[in-house]
Amino acid sequence: MSAFREGGHFPDGTTLGVGAALVALPFLLPSVTLASELVVFAVATLSCTFLLGLVGLLSFGQGLFFGLGAYVSGVLLREHGLGTLPAVAAAAGFSFLAAGLLAFLAVRRQGVYFVMLTLAFAQMGYFAMLALKDVTGGENGLTGVPRPPLLAGAGTLSGPEAVYAFLAGLAFAAYLLVQRIGCSPFGSVLRAIRQNEARAEALGYDTRRFKIAAFALAGLLAGLAGAMHTVFLGFVPPNAIELEMSERLIIMAIIGGAGAPAGAFVGAGFYVLMADWLSTLWPRWLMLIGVLLIAIVLFLREGVWGGAMLLLARLRRARRRG
Amino acid sequence: MAEAPPPLLAARGLGVRFGDFRALSEVTLEVAAGALHAIIGPNGAGKTTLFNVLTGRLRPSEGIVTLAGRDVTRLPAHRRVHLGMARSFQVTNIFADLTVAENLRLAIQAVDGWEPWVFWRGRSALPAAAGRVEALLEEAGLASRAAWRAGDLSHGGQRALEIGMALAADPRIVFLDEPLAGMGIDDVHRTKELIHNLVPARTVVLIEHNMRVVLDIADRITVLAQGRPIAEGPPAAIRANAAVRDAYLGSGM
Repeated sequence: MSAFREGGHFPDGTTLGVGAALVALPFLLPSVTLASELVVFAVATLSCTFLLGLVGLLSFGQGLFFGLGAYVSGVLLREHGLGTLPAVAAAAGFSFLAAGLLAFLAVRRQGVYFVMLTLAFAQMGYFAMLALKDVTGGENGLTGVPRPPLLAGAGTLSGPEAVYAFLAGLAFAAYLLVQRIGCSPFGSVLRAIRQNEARAEALGYDTRRFKIAAFALAGLLAGLAGAMHTVFLGFVPPNAIELEMSERLIIMAIIGGAGAPAGAFVGAGFYVLMADWLSTLWPRWLMLIGVLLIAIVLFLREGVWGGAMLLLARLRRARRRG
Repeated sequence: MAEAPPPLLAARGLGVRFGDFRALSEVTLEVAAGALHAIIGPNGAGKTTLFNVLTGRLRPSEGIVTLAGRDVTRLPAHRRVHLGMARSFQVTNIFADLTVAENLRLAIQAVDGWEPWVFWRGRSALPAAAGRVEALLEEAGLASRAAWRAGDLSHGGQRALEIGMALAADPRIVFLDEPLAGMGIDDVHRTKELIHNLVPARTVVLIEHNMRVVLDIADRITVLAQGRPIAEGPPAAIRANAAVRDAYLGSGM
């Protein structure tokens, strides 16, 4: 079911499927760290999928909020001795506010102009990071970020398995939140805005406010993913806030399909695994991703996940008939 | 003679300019509460522009609009809905990919306090809203097609849905922009009855080209030509007005 398009139910079979996949991933993949990387990017992609699939907003700025979350959590963990959980929560909250503030400007424009504004934000973020070299470490990144226990000395993250369990738990929470929103009254307004914004306004919805709220929420998701990335790596690489990050997140969202939140997990999974596999075979593997993206945009508009669901529905119908 | 009640909607000295082009000039209009007030005029007379100004989609270059004595000239469209204004559109304007029932539910939800912001539970939680959807489906004659994708409705069905959505907010005043355009003969009759039954409980402002219907159900008619009101009065007076005949109605009357 393309849950963002029609509403769907919560919880449904997909909820169970995503939960099961998160449990199975470290056993299925060659390494736990690969599984961790996958869930981090799944949450980051979820922020693009949510904006694009439910609200119809294309943002080239999600890498900025990813980077903000990464740096804010890094600084809090390194300089202020916060526990992992409060640092992650603070980073997500900070990104939520920053995105809300920028959305206040961005929603004044629509279509291409909105996209250009988000692009400009992402660019500014990278140069702000370079300018604030004393805080961010500039081009060297923020190194030596500790990985303290979750909360006040309890819940040590010893070993990559514990880290994965923590990150997968956050990813599942993020998924539940987005799926819940997708079939809530609030979600129905966002869906209405995507379909026909002028009509939604004529019905009495202050569409700007709803778009600001949605953008802030997407900022929260991206910021959460950035903080998860910091916890995962133990440092903040400068590419966490590069423009290319924004680009990568959109590519993952489109590969997976923006019609349902599960598409973010499929898209991020596909990209991360392809990168892991192809990069050992050919250093120019990104070209293949380009080809794949073209193929999906031309022939599989709903992405890998949406295509699979469509196929499943067709098979079911055929069986009922036969 | 009893003093006339103050108008529910009043516009004074409205003007709209698009660059050098004057779409509306010096439009003054009063719509009495409970009236069915039609606005007619040839294509390009500025009828829809006037609607857009009255409902807040467009800011006038000059003049004011008041609703029940309150100046609403600068209020955006979505705020006016909450004061009891609703409209339908000349070009069908619905959520084509959603079901007919969901279109109506969205229209009801829009004026349901904080409900549009609720994100922690499902949409179907309130039985009161479901009852309202049922009632609107009945009123618009769409009860048997509630689960249809709205875009799959016939043209007449989509026009009926438009009106249903305009009524969902339980408005005091409804603006209907050519609700009968393109309808089949059966639908025209049914929709005409629907519109006529709205008054006097609600106030209706109607743009319509179907003169037979307008002359039949309107209490009062304003004629616009080239962005200016050229006549106003009850149907009989408009029918007899020579200037109106020249400007618009032609010999067919």
